[in-house]
Amino acid sequence: MQIKRTILFIVLLVVLCAGFIDINQTQSASKKVPFAVPKGWPKPVYDFSKNPLTEAGIALGKELFYEGQLSKDGTISCGSCHQQFGAFNSYDHPLSHGLENALTTRNAPALFNLAWQKEFMWDGGINHLDLQPLAPITAHNEMGESIENVLSKLKKTKQYPKLFKAAFGDETINTQRLGKALSQFLLTMVSSNSKYDRVMRGEDSFALPEQLGYAIFKTKCVQCHTEPLFTDYSYRNIGMPLEPYLNDRGRMTITNEAADSLKFKVPSLRNVLVSFPYGHDGRFFSLMNVFEHYRNHMQIGPTTDALLKNKLPLSNYEIGQLRAFLQTLTDSVFLKDPRFAEPGTSIKGNPPIDLHN
Amino acid sequence: MQQKWKITLLIHILLGLYCMAISQSTVQFKLMFNNQLFHKDSSYLNRSGETIQIHRFMFYTSKWKLITASNDTIQLSQNHFLINAAEEHSTKLPLSILANAKKIVFDVGVDSILNTTGIQTGILDPAVGMFWTWRTGYIMAKMHGTSPQAKTAGNRFSYEVGGFQSPYNAVRTIVLDLTSVRERNHPLTIKTNLAQWFDGKHTITISSNPNCHNAGKLSMQLADNYGSMFSIYANN
Repeated sequence: MQIKRTILFIVLLVVLCAGFIDINQTQSASKKVPFAVPKGWPKPVYDFSKNPLTEAGIALGKELFYEGQLSKDGTISCGSCHQQFGAFNSYDHPLSHGLENALTTRNAPALFNLAWQKEFMWDGGINHLDLQPLAPITAHNEMGESIENVLSKLKKTKQYPKLFKAAFGDETINTQRLGKALSQFLLTMVSSNSKYDRVMRGEDSFALPEQLGYAIFKTKCVQCHTEPLFTDYSYRNIGMPLEPYLNDRGRMTITNEAADSLKFKVPSLRNVLVSFPYGHDGRFFSLMNVFEHYRNHMQIGPTTDALLKNKLPLSNYEIGQLRAFLQTLTDSVFLKDPRFAEPGTSIKGNPPIDLHN
Repeated sequence: MQQKWKITLLIHILLGLYCMAISQSTVQFKLMFNNQLFHKDSSYLNRSGETIQIHRFMFYTSKWKLITASNDTIQLSQNHFLINAAEEHSTKLPLSILANAKKIVFDVGVDSILNTTGIQTGILDPAVGMFWTWRTGYIMAKMHGTSPQAKTAGNRFSYEVGGFQSPYNAVRTIVLDLTSVRERNHPLTIKTNLAQWFDGKHTITISSNPNCHNAGKLSMQLADNYGSMFSIYANN
């Protein structure tokens, strides 16, 4: 008799628990959005199972990306320094600007294909996309706000509790949801429709200089700027001398290893022609500056990359062809995609050309 | 068969009642500076002769377990707890100590998996302020204060200790012997001696190291030091 009762009790308990599971599932009823991996690309590193994309989640992420209230005085949003026409870099700014005329110490990187990126920042110090936005939000020379204040400001608005409810099932606003929503929007920013991609898909063909440039690229650049993402996400010292005012030693700040001094993350070359200036501190205004650096100005030190111990010899001819090839990495579909545009603005004209070249 | 079930059930119930009757239901951290009760308005001296006032003191603990007389390990809690000197209630943890426990074991710090899987919630929410946003990782323990010996603005010193990856992992596992604990009816009181931050395995002086804000050698030394700040309070 007692056993029967015990069994009944356990069954009831299970049913009760199952009921709760069911509730949780129906709570986030927003329409799921599949994440499409471009053909031939590797598997994304982002764990979508922990943060499945939904229409409401992406929409909330976009609102937050362009939300000035994430900054202390309401003037700076993520979109302030990550501008779509520059592939979400800071247009023509070596160092981007923060709160009250503050300058940052690094060049705001272009943003795309983040689902494949395991570590963030030029030094790789941040190990998860969801966490990345907390860095600029809290940095005193960027958005200068505390996470606590951001959350309380969002809670006081009319629209955000509703948007969080649509995305996550209830009106709770916390740091995790803030990060997840921003990630959902950022993850949709896939750049895979450049001329290069069309050529690879067999839908287009390279002009002769582009073809020649591609061949040169494959002998001299591809070791670090690996296809199809055009970076291997490693940290390397490419012989950029230490900037005495910034004193930025890159990866070493994170690992404390002298062997990592002056190493920075290899940036992707996708959309490279619209994402100037270049280098972790934006010291190269043009592609020509970069080529000149590689062939003439590199400072070889103990941590300089093994592939560059003799600098990177490039002839004028090679530079010309490489430039033609790099131009095929501009993804104008991405640069004008209204899904990523600031709400209330229209995408106008062509992306800026490299005015320093 | 039915008989066997009944007996097992009975044994479990009796065991449960037995444990409830003679176990301690709380663990309490007693914050001290050597033999004085810690107070944030008081000044203390470290062994290097530096005058210290501590305004903020917080640390995470996790992975609480017991080792019994028969060398079995019993998990006490899956939770992380944040001990904050400014909040008295945070120094008491709702953990039940079995009478036959020989040792109590816990970590100071946050499990590495929670440092690598995005944003956590509750007491581990980065908004709590025990998290580095510029480089991923929890601040396992922090101590802020002032000292005339700190050659800094406002004579402030600030120790924020973290790092979850080898060789700079600041998590420390603490093992305390319970065999000498006599009275089982009171909370298990763990003396937490803040002086050890300066006078532990490594001598840390505020004059030469007023700040620690990154994983690395200094964090490791401070972590070794806080690893030795716990002992069973003598009145137990």
